[in-house]
Amino acid sequence: MLDTIIAVDISGRHYENDRYFMVSAAVALSYSEGNIRGIEGIHVIPFSSTKPPEITDVVHMIEESVEGIGIKGTVVAERGDMFNQPEDMVKQMFRVDFKYPESMAEKLGIEFAHHVSLSSRNLLMKQEVRES
Amino acid sequence: MNDVILVQRTVPGSKERDNIRKLAELKELAFAAGYNVLDSIVQQHHPDRRYHVGKGKAEEIAGHVAELYPSKVIFLNPLTITQIYNLSELCQCEVIDKFQLILEIFATRATTSRSKLQVELAKLEYELPRARKLVSLLKQEERPGFMGMGGYEDSYEQDLKKRISRIRKELKNTIRSSATRRESRHEQGFSLISLAGYTNAGKSTLFNTLVSENVESMDMLFTTLSPTTRSININGRRAMLTDTVGFIEDLPHFLVDAFRSTLEDVFLSDIILLVVDASDPIDVMRKKLAVSHDIFWKQLENAVIITVFNKVDLVSPADLEAKINALRYLCPNPVIVSAKESIALDKLKETIYSNLPEWKRFTISLPNSDKGMSVLSWLMEQGIVHSTDYGDTITLDVEASDSVVEKAKKFVQNLLED
Repeated sequence: MLDTIIAVDISGRHYENDRYFMVSAAVALSYSEGNIRGIEGIHVIPFSSTKPPEITDVVHMIEESVEGIGIKGTVVAERGDMFNQPEDMVKQMFRVDFKYPESMAEKLGIEFAHHVSLSSRNLLMKQEVRES
Repeated sequence: MNDVILVQRTVPGSKERDNIRKLAELKELAFAAGYNVLDSIVQQHHPDRRYHVGKGKAEEIAGHVAELYPSKVIFLNPLTITQIYNLSELCQCEVIDKFQLILEIFATRATTSRSKLQVELAKLEYELPRARKLVSLLKQEERPGFMGMGGYEDSYEQDLKKRISRIRKELKNTIRSSATRRESRHEQGFSLISLAGYTNAGKSTLFNTLVSENVESMDMLFTTLSPTTRSININGRRAMLTDTVGFIEDLPHFLVDAFRSTLEDVFLSDIILLVVDASDPIDVMRKKLAVSHDIFWKQLENAVIITVFNKVDLVSPADLEAKINALRYLCPNPVIVSAKESIALDKLKETIYSNLPEWKRFTISLPNSDKGMSVLSWLMEQGIVHSTDYGDTITLDVEASDSVVEKAKKFVQNLLED
């Protein structure tokens, strides 16, 4: 039986060029017995803010990128992305099922989402430079 | 004189069940180190810079020490050198943390030269960041060095660094030799299987049952420190089974680094038998499996993980099924066994066999001569000879690894050309 997780990662949570330019990437993965079997979908959303993101902003960004995929599954994100808050507390902030990564498949999913968000952000930054 | 008092500082808002489990584990660690636990003190508090626990609690600990005369006070949480110094001064007793306790256990259990070097390396790695502070703390009371001019503050640190690099070099040589040994075992037709998992999961008992031997196994943490390897036969396929050191939660990085050469026996295996104690409560099993996955992360090279739920004789079938279902995402290829009662070991062997590196089955004709016979005996050692037909030539039905097939074909070609 295949399970689905949605691994999410946000890149660009640092101050650069007078703003916080962040990209949230959600990757839906099907897996069974601890091994990833397939990538079901990817959704990327950029966010820009002049203030540093707080945990509620992070929750909002994650939920929005997950909604864009349109696939149901447990959302997985790094503890560091959620300000190292206890899992039980963070779970209550989400409308969807949420957990920190435990298995190697979940960690691999997050690594994948990280590369997607980072490369998407780099691409968008380059595009901005070219247009300006 | 082996009495101790345990102290745990819990984070406000943390799960009580987790805290209870961690303290119970510390008790088991103290037992494994040969200590008798007199009392345990718990405080929910944010870390204090001077005493780690609150000042009032530190004084309470000192009161307990004056009353019970333990030889040591062991903290579950990692302590800074300043906290150790302040607490030792206040309690007039040796104060250590969990990591130092683990190091003590490792030091007493280390038997091979490799594990002794690993323990020494771990001790030095632990000491290094503390060295400078330790010397400056001692200098508050007396100035060290010739004529009180100090001077060996840096030299002590330098000395530690030199010793670390010397041990690393020695360990590197042992790693190289064990990597070569692994390669040669592969070439000899052996597949490599390792037992891994949380400490006290029953790895050594399973090892003993599978190889019918008697490696020391006890109801105690860290019974196995040096890897033990024996050959086993899985449905005709020869394999090397290795029993290794158990994992533990919050295993400090210096300990993982120090025991890298031991853990490499696990990382470079063809199959890893991830042993889990099925009699543990579900959240404990989840935590222990997550710790194992954490240690495996980015370290494995094509290894297949088989999750072995051990000690099933202590769990009801319904309970076990619920546990396996809930932990499915952390348990690749689950097999349920009882090593102690020898339950379902055939099923485990079958699962191991089906996950062994693929061997090819091929037919080969050898000349019926002395040279042909020597190839036959070599093939019998390297693979499985299913049938032998002696005539003008010797026709064999053999199952072996790719490299053996290639070698055998080349050998026959050379014989024909001669």
